[in-house]
Amino acid sequence: MAAADNPSRERILGRIRTAVQTLGRHHDGPAGPMFAPVTDPLDRFQKECVANITECTVTANAAASAAAIANVLASLPPGEIFVQDAPELRALVTSFKDGRPLRWSSEGPPNEASQATITLCEALVAQTGSVLVSASNGGRQATVIAPAHIVFAKLEQLVPDLEAVMARIHERGIATKNSYVCLITGSSRTADIEKILIMGAHGPRRLIVVLQTG
Amino acid sequence: MSTAAREFERKAAEKSADLVHRGIVRWNIDQYDTGVGRGKTRFADWEAARQRCHDIKWEAVNHLDKYLLQFEQKVKENGGHVFWAENGEEARQYICEVAKRGGVKKVVKSKSMVSEEIHLAQALEKIGVEVVETDLGEFIVQLRNEPPYHIVTPAMHLNRQQVSKLFHEKLGSQETQDPPELVAIARRWLRKSFFSAEMGISGANFIIADAGMVTITTNEGNGRLSTSVPRIHVALTGIEKVIPRLQDLATLWPTLATAGTGQPITCYNTLMGGARRPGEVDGPEEFHVVLVDNGRSELLADLEQREVLHCIRCGACINACPVFRNIGGHAYGVTYPGPIGSVLEPRLLGLKEYQHLSFASSLCGACTDVCPVHIELHHHLLQNRRNAIHEGTHSAGERLGMKLFRWTMMSSGRFSFFGSLGRTALRMIHGMGLAGTALDPMHPWTKEHAALAIPRESFRDLWRKQNGSR
Amino acid sequence: MPKVSLFIPCFVDQLNPQVGMDVVCVLRRIGYEVDFREAQTCCGQPAFNTGYWDEARPLAERFVRIFSSAEAVVCPSGSCTTMVQTFYPELLAGTPLHDDAVKLGQRVHEFTQFLVNVAKVTDVGASFPHKVTVHDSCHGLRELHVKREPRELLKNVRGLELVDLPYGEECCGFGGAFSVKYAMISAAMGDTKAGNIEKSGAEYVTAADPSCLLHIDGVLRRKKSKARTIHVASILAQTAAVGGASR
Repeated sequence: MAAADNPSRERILGRIRTAVQTLGRHHDGPAGPMFAPVTDPLDRFQKECVANITECTVTANAAASAAAIANVLASLPPGEIFVQDAPELRALVTSFKDGRPLRWSSEGPPNEASQATITLCEALVAQTGSVLVSASNGGRQATVIAPAHIVFAKLEQLVPDLEAVMARIHERGIATKNSYVCLITGSSRTADIEKILIMGAHGPRRLIVVLQTG
Repeated sequence: MSTAAREFERKAAEKSADLVHRGIVRWNIDQYDTGVGRGKTRFADWEAARQRCHDIKWEAVNHLDKYLLQFEQKVKENGGHVFWAENGEEARQYICEVAKRGGVKKVVKSKSMVSEEIHLAQALEKIGVEVVETDLGEFIVQLRNEPPYHIVTPAMHLNRQQVSKLFHEKLGSQETQDPPELVAIARRWLRKSFFSAEMGISGANFIIADAGMVTITTNEGNGRLSTSVPRIHVALTGIEKVIPRLQDLATLWPTLATAGTGQPITCYNTLMGGARRPGEVDGPEEFHVVLVDNGRSELLADLEQREVLHCIRCGACINACPVFRNIGGHAYGVTYPGPIGSVLEPRLLGLKEYQHLSFASSLCGACTDVCPVHIELHHHLLQNRRNAIHEGTHSAGERLGMKLFRWTMMSSGRFSFFGSLGRTALRMIHGMGLAGTALDPMHPWTKEHAALAIPRESFRDLWRKQNGSR
Repeated sequence: MPKVSLFIPCFVDQLNPQVGMDVVCVLRRIGYEVDFREAQTCCGQPAFNTGYWDEARPLAERFVRIFSSAEAVVCPSGSCTTMVQTFYPELLAGTPLHDDAVKLGQRVHEFTQFLVNVAKVTDVGASFPHKVTVHDSCHGLRELHVKREPRELLKNVRGLELVDLPYGEECCGFGGAFSVKYAMISAAMGDTKAGNIEKSGAEYVTAADPSCLLHIDGVLRRKKSKARTIHVASILAQTAAVGGASR
């Protein structure tokens, strides 16, 4: 935006610059670690998933992963599923014949009425049982639009805590390569009515993580 | 007394006497307290979390120009637009222009307190744009034509029967006592809007300087849909929301969630750094960040109160406040209720009209106790009171009264004399059976309290009797 | 004999003098020589809290001068102690008496904190065979961290049964001028507090702050509640020899 279009910019900046010439009062106190270190990430991740209502299935190999995904799809009503177009997912999906219509992310964004989406992820976080996704995982809508979101992840993607996942974002340029990054923890929910926790507000009601160790 | 002050007193009096309302708020706060109590046990050191959050915000606010410029540069590098708005009017104008240029007929909004502060929805509606609130609580109060009751839980004052009736009347849905069904009704209804709106407006819990990204902390998914589907995304934020590094979110996200709702972390923490990049499957084509000043740079210049800009809008102070617990969120009559509002709003809107918010407090300090970024809220209330007196907004009568108070207290002889005189007069009046009546000088007290027994002798009288004079 | 100087809040002096006498009684009982500087009047909090800092300042300066030679000052009010300890430095910032105010603040003690932390006494030989609950007065609790001390003292009072107060740390609603300027909010807060006192089943509610007790008492009696208020000092002043409770 050209300076002429936003004359307030200089005025606001001017006032800020003058103000911060003097530093404000600082509250002093110990600022050590906030959390105890995560000792067994896989175990912790699974426990957190139970707590935040993420369905986590640990599998040993591709065949087991394919079976797990097929199982989830079998539990869903008929309808199109949307899949991130990535080699691992191409391979997985080929190995089970679900029969329902499929749309790949290379064809465009998901249809609003998709029954499920299947995506990879950028990382998993043990501390909170979270899944980090980005626009590279099939786009923005892919991880929020359908009633069920299935994430296929590998064990090496599991990091212990939030500090580690933010560092990973930085190291791998995830936030520079993508216009959109989201840390997902559990399924969509609201407590806006009488503070009653209700799952499945606007995002997926079910978040399923298939975590392959081998 | 200003109009706003009079309105506040009327509403506060009404709510103070409303036992049903008091019970609802109490119940909500109890749920919150239980959740937060549990949430804090996940921290090895909650005080360390508070200090770290404070340090991050202190760094950001005390170098605000540096971090805002870094943020702006990154956003622009990614093809986004940054507009600096002096005040609400400029922000509204800019957003309306973006809407007009984009041929926008409908806007979907995820929660933004700044949008309430600047009355954005009304401005868009005036130019023929339909504004749909998509956060469930905001959606509910929008249907009721009410402002949000609380910055985190906008509809906490309503029960399921009220929501059911509301949906039935405004959306034509079937009445139901089942909360999941009510949520499903809202989901079906709002989904239509996500997919037909041309513009999505979000707030920003933080804006990150080293990444040029805006982040929103949510649970429902409406914020994600509002900013993923429509063609244009406008993020509205106060200038103070900037933080230096993406890494800082590892500290801020769990602390904000715990202080805000007791959750370890909210369901969706979304980072948005621009319109869709080439090769991305979807996403908006236009990205605008509107940085709103609206009095914040003035607060920045006030060394005593600069730290008020550290606020991360978690709502913990509101929930801790015994005044809020008795009068609720609507009685305040301003965008930000509770202690943060009582400190901030008189600064943003003017002490002359809104100082009453800073006076309507018992200064208990519970707010300062719970603030995750160590803002000394109740001390700022005192400073606002002092500033209001210095601005000469109080009556000559009150100023004279205070001078008399000081004059009396500057001499133990005068203090003793007037004390004794007062007690004698009161004992006489009470002796005539007038205690607690309108003729009792203690009537302002006895309006709400049983009459006080006035002692015959003061402490110094008793002391002298026992120990002799000094 | 160790010496202490009394700081008797202005409203205690005029409206609640027995609390002051009870403080004297307890201090002497544990072996302290007590003096009362009659020049004292008010710490200035009423003016300070209502924003009239220019009227409060001369009162603060006067207070500092009156007590500058005192080794230890004891006050049966958390809010008045807070005024001196926490707020005098701010009020007197940039004035000649600022440093003296800071030094004095370190020598001014809230009554229960003095007994437990300075005199190192938790058993003052008191007797009060009643069910008692403790209201944690805000200034004392949040600025001075008075929490443990009243309870340690009450634990050793013969016959006293301590019961929990639901929402005990929630403000009673007094807040000084607030109780008159915003009487309806103050009353609602007081009403909530009174309800919780009744729920606790206590015969007496006690606190380290007579201003809270004034307000709570007015609300309890207005509600025709059976519970009564009593200052911690007044409980501690009771011995087996003296029957019944004074207010």
